[in-house]
Amino acid sequence: MKGTIKDLLKVSGVHGYVIASPKGVQIKLPSKHPLAGTKDRFKALYDELVKSGKRPGNTIEVLWEDMVLTAFISGTASLMVVSAHNVNLALVRMTGKLVMANIIKEL
Amino acid sequence: MSEDISGGLENTRCSEIVRILSLGKQSGRLYLCNGGDTGNIFFRDGEIIHAQCGLLQGAKAIYETAVWTSGEYRFYPDDSPDVVTVDLSVDDILSEAANRIRQMDRITSLISSSSAVYAHDPDIKEKEITLKSIQWKVLAHVDGKRSISDISQAIGLGVSDTMKVFYTLIKAGLLKESEGSAGQSSARMIELPATPFLEALQKDLTKAMGPVAPFVISETAQEMGYDLLSDDTGHKAELIETLSNKIPSETMSLAFLDTMTDWLNAEGA
Repeated sequence: MKGTIKDLLKVSGVHGYVIASPKGVQIKLPSKHPLAGTKDRFKALYDELVKSGKRPGNTIEVLWEDMVLTAFISGTASLMVVSAHNVNLALVRMTGKLVMANIIKEL
Repeated sequence: MSEDISGGLENTRCSEIVRILSLGKQSGRLYLCNGGDTGNIFFRDGEIIHAQCGLLQGAKAIYETAVWTSGEYRFYPDDSPDVVTVDLSVDDILSEAANRIRQMDRITSLISSSSAVYAHDPDIKEKEITLKSIQWKVLAHVDGKRSISDISQAIGLGVSDTMKVFYTLIKAGLLKESEGSAGQSSARMIELPATPFLEALQKDLTKAMGPVAPFVISETAQEMGYDLLSDDTGHKAELIETLSNKIPSETMSLAFLDTMTDWLNAEGA
């Protein structure tokens, strides 16, 4: 199965991504991006999302300022994709699901 | 090497492919298709652990695909199933499959194909006939319009097993082939518009869900209020995503997403 981070970044309108796990938060966004230095906010969001374990479904979309944050959760791992609000969200969800499946395989 | 295991069932029957994969101690999924019917047989270290063909699961699904004499096959290494439905050895399965093939050769000498349509024969010769419950079940569905394949789906029995029951009913003089009705069954099948997107979608969904794929595509688009001929990439992606959620197997759902995401990206999404 393909579904790599590269595929995700190729989707028009995707700014970058964040991978969060109990080990920490890794942000991959352009240095001048408004969310580039917001590790604490991502950590807080990750903690909230992972804590609500009984949540139905594992893909969450959050409208954040003028952007969309699509979070994929599996167990304690999370992939959060930051994109423009007019991105093809279904394509982001499809690609993100594949990337997440590969991340889980590697864990 | 296993990536290249593919070909036509005209030259290599399912049993032979199963034997080769078993001897090679392969792990992965053997995908088979025969017209609108599809089957999947999963291997782990050369042993069969799961099989599915239409509504059938387990050994019955393997016997169903074993009698196919046309179509294609392809082996996908490392695909694994979510469930285990087969606990027989490959030797036991192949021995029973050989019996089924012999039976099917006899049946096809009388019944041309599973698309044949039969009707009740009013000129019954026997004074008394005893039927098994499965024969009665099949007989009750025969209406001179539905094909053997349609009836097999309606009663949830494999096509080859349904053909076997038809064989016994024809031999008993209860059924006769319906004249001029060969086209009726296919006329009821849904034909999606011939666009590259829908062709790719149908091909890949058929791999995951079998012959119901065109129905599922048409129904899902209707539920979502999407025009299948629309060029809107957002709509296409949402349709693919919704369809992927309807695939029961997680592995197959991801494989479907994988291929269709590539397709969308290639189209310039």
